[in-house]
This record gives sequence, structure tokens and C-alpha cells, in this order.
Amino acid sequence: MVDDLLLRTDRLSLRYPGGTLALDELTVDVPRGSVGLVGANGAGKTTLLRLALGQLRPTAGAIEVVGRAVAEDPIGVRAHIGFMPEHDCLPPDQTAADVVATLGELAGLPPRAARQRASEVLDLVGLDEARFRPIGGFSTGMRQRTKLAQAIVADPEVVLLDEPTAGLDPIGREEMLALVGRLAGFGISALVATHLLDDVQRVCDRVVMIDGGKLRHTGATQALLHRTGALRVQVSDGAAHLAEVLGADGVAATVIDDATLDVRIDGDEGRVLDLVRDRADDLGLALYALTTRRTSLDELFVDQPQ
Amino acid sequence: MKVPSAGAVYDRGYRPYEGERGGRGASRAALVRLSVRRALGLRRSWRQKVLPWSLLAIASIPAVVNVGVKYLTRDTPAADFDLITFREYVGVSTTLLLFVAITAPDMVCPDRRNRVLPLIFARPLTGNDYVLAKVGALTAILFGFSFLPQVVLFVGQMFVVRGGALDFLTENAEVLWQVPLAVALFSLYLASLALAISAATARRVVGGAALLATVLVSATVATILVRAGGEGFIESGNLWGLLSALDIPLRMSDLVFLGHVDPESLVGGATGAGIGVVLVYAAVVAGSLGYLVYRYRQVQ
Repeated sequence: MVDDLLLRTDRLSLRYPGGTLALDELTVDVPRGSVGLVGANGAGKTTLLRLALGQLRPTAGAIEVVGRAVAEDPIGVRAHIGFMPEHDCLPPDQTAADVVATLGELAGLPPRAARQRASEVLDLVGLDEARFRPIGGFSTGMRQRTKLAQAIVADPEVVLLDEPTAGLDPIGREEMLALVGRLAGFGISALVATHLLDDVQRVCDRVVMIDGGKLRHTGATQALLHRTGALRVQVSDGAAHLAEVLGADGVAATVIDDATLDVRIDGDEGRVLDLVRDRADDLGLALYALTTRRTSLDELFVDQPQ
Repeated sequence: MKVPSAGAVYDRGYRPYEGERGGRGASRAALVRLSVRRALGLRRSWRQKVLPWSLLAIASIPAVVNVGVKYLTRDTPAADFDLITFREYVGVSTTLLLFVAITAPDMVCPDRRNRVLPLIFARPLTGNDYVLAKVGALTAILFGFSFLPQVVLFVGQMFVVRGGALDFLTENAEVLWQVPLAVALFSLYLASLALAISAATARRVVGGAALLATVLVSATVATILVRAGGEGFIESGNLWGLLSALDIPLRMSDLVFLGHVDPESLVGGATGAGIGVVLVYAAVVAGSLGYLVYRYRQVQ
């Protein structure tokens, strides 16, 4: 059923006036929930968000957001969407309460309700005490949380988050991811555009991966991680020897240094784990660590030719 | 040990919004309302209120003085003279130029400089809505600030003239449509021009300076060109006077109140002066609005 979809695109293409093809016949159905839109810089993520907002018109194809055709009512569809841009976009001379309330009014809320909602959502994102301070004095984390607050102030059906953890320190990142992870519980679907696969792994139950404007992969996050997983193996020494033996067993491994190698998991993960353990034992190597390596998206693209 | 960042996230729950929700019209109205509020310094510190309300007071002083003198001299027939006419009072409103030079850039420059526009256009609003809201808000404020002193002038005179209020009202009935029309034309012109110039930059000080420079330089150039034609040329008027940006809305006031351009103005009694004023007025307003629409057609 169409209304169950967060996003639907049908052969969606967009070519910028300069000739750059940002999206190339992208066709994907994305269910509601927390969805990661992943891709390297320039993959077309922000372009897809702007098409969903009706701020760009596709060169070809169609796009629907929460069951509404953007082409039919590109302005009206925004009443159901919250948007958090990647870049800094908050006036430093105004308080968080004023900014969020103002943007709530611009989303169609009555003035009194907008101020009430601004207070509630700023409280929710942990800015209850800071909301009457000028944003110019905020840390990056506080500004990101203000941006999230303005995105949900009008209680949208879906929020489009563009790199929500950009520029955050580890603690700020944890807090932001925790907030994004809670959105589904509020009844708000989230499309999280990011190039950080780890963020997607943490908060998104589905993934749409695009590259060069084309769909690379879509599906459940765990399935993607299974497909792309790699093991970081640390041994006492002789990593090259272990890699050679594993290669003879049909398991690809990349030597990092004398004591470290990355082992690729293709297919049965349990079999690969057993094989690494057994071959290290056969060679008399002490096995110090065997961990799932967090693969960067760039590496993923390199490893998965189209 | 985990070091808490500024502000902590607590689980206070989330309440979905189930109240009234306006459509695109409500968003447009909100943008106008918020623009007016910002320009007048409402819900802002007292420093932000000083300029607009001081200028309103300054623009009203001639009206109050005029009514006061009328009152004091009401029993002295020999002193029965008009200090200022309603048409001339439109010219008094040019004192609002300083207000416009500060307010117009403040209305649009910070949105671009702070990159707030992508947030605004993620709401049910378009670039055209933004332009109409900003022009509408500034026009409304200028109209109010120009019209209120005229009301003081009219109502004050009505009660202090010797002939009585009803006679004054009857004798000046045409003013009831001339003043609002002239003030509206003046306000729309200045708002459109000021916002167009301000929209060209993201810096408020540059926008304000550019507006003042446009007005002063155009007036200087127009005066020099008119005078270059010699004394006779000045007396008969000269279409070079159309180059003076701030003169145009005042000459439109002439047309509203007198039906012709003031012979003592720069354009004066030049052939085709009236049509020239109307054409330049229309071109400036249309050009300014067109540039604003172009400027906000696509916001990155």
C-alpha cells in the first residue's frame, strides 16, 4: 500500500543545468521507519532530499513522499515533512526558543501553539535550560539539536536529516544518534542521509545506498552489514602467512601489518570465523583479537563494483 | 569517564501535535507577521524598538506642530495659513528613508547570511511567497508610519479650524482617498526598491549603504544634469529629473493630489513629465519585484 511508504521513486532522474547528472533513473520503494540514505559525497543524497521537498523538479521520473506525489503538490507536501540541513543554518542573534517557534509558525502552527511546541521539543532534545540563550553561544552539538528540534516542531510525518552527526564530537554524536533513534517511537519516520555507515547501523533499520546517482543497494541494515562485513584479526605475528593459508581456503585477506589482517566475509560468517581460528592454531599463532571491522562507505564502494 | 556536554538529553516523552494546523496561507501570513514583528522590534530588546518608534515620532512632529499652531491661531484670521499640506506631508515621510535603510536589509540579509533560507523553504512557502511577504510587510509598516501622521494632521485640523469639523471634512473630502493612495504608492515604491537593493547582498551594512547611495547619487546626478541645461531649462523642467530615485514617488503624489507634476520640482513642467513619472515609477517597482523574484527563485 502506497501510504505505508516513506519514499517512492520511479526512474527518478535529475540533471543540473551545468550538465551534472545527480540522479540517474533511481527507482526505489522505502517503507516507513528509520531509513539510512547512504552514499559518498556527491552520490546524490542531498539532491534526493531536495527533490523530496519539492525544491527541485526532476528531469524525468516521479517521486512520492509519505504517499503524496511531489509533482502534484510540491509545496503542500512540505507540510508533512521536517528538514534538518547539513550546514549551519541558525541565526546566531536569536534564541533557540524564538527560532524554533518561528519555524513552527512558518510550518502552519498558530503562534501560541508554535511557542508551546518549541518549548516541548527543545526540552525533548535537552535544551530546556538553554532555549532562551542566543544560538551564537551554542556548541556544535547544541546547534545540531536545535536543528533537529525545528525539524520536528510541527510534528511531521517524516523528517529528512542531512548528515545529522556532522562535526560532532563523540559524545555529541552519541546524543544525536540517540535522539534520531527515538524518532520512530514518536511516530516520525526518518530518512537519514549520511556517509557514515556506522551511524546507519546504529539507528536505521533500513538502508538505501546510492552511488553516482544510481541505486546501489536497498534493504534491511543487518543484511547490508552481513554483505559488507569484514573481520579485523590480530595475531602475535605472521599475519602474511595466515593470509596466504586463508587464501588457499578461498577466503580473501588483506595484510595490514605483521600482526594484523582484514579477512573478508563472503557467505557463511560462522565458517569464516571457524577457519580463521583453526588456521591460526595450525600455524601456532596466538590469536589476540577477532572483531567485526567497521567498514567505511568508501571502502564498501571500492569493494563492490557496479 | 564520560564527560557531559553542555545540556543533557532527558527522556521527557513526546506528545504528537493534534491542534489546529494552517495551510500555505497560514505560512504566508506567519512570514508577514514575523517580518513586521522583527522590523518594529516587537518581542525584541528595547534597543531594537528605539529606531522604528523614534522615527514614527519624528515623522509625526510636523503634524502635531501644524495642528498646534492652527489651534493657537484659530482666533486670529490674519494668521490663517497652512503650514503644510497633505501632499507636502508625503514628502515629510522621506525622513523614513533612514528607517528603510536599516530595516530592509535587516529583513532579508540575515536570512541569506545565516543560511536560514533552506529552512524557510522547507516549509510550505515558495520564493514568490517570501518576496510578497517581505515587500508586503515593509510596505505595510511604511504605510502605517506615513499614514498615521496624516491622520493626526487631518483629525487635528478638523477640530481646530474655525469653520467647524463638518465643514472641514466636506471641503477636504477628496483627501480621504488621495492621502491613502499617495502614501500607498510611496510605501510600495520605497519598500520594493530598498528590498531589491538589500537582496543583492548578504551584509546588512552594505545593503543599507547601497540604498542611501542610490538615493543620494541619483538625486545629485539628476540635479547636475537638469542644471547643465541652464536657468531656462530649470524653469521649464527637465526629464533628467526622472533620474532622481526618491523624487519619483513624490511626483506620483503630485499626480494624485494635483493631477500634474509640481512645476517647482526637478522634472517640473517638462513635456510628458506626468507620463514619464508614471513610467519610471512602474519600471522601478516592476524591476525591483522582478529582481526579487529572480533572486529567490531557487534557494540552495
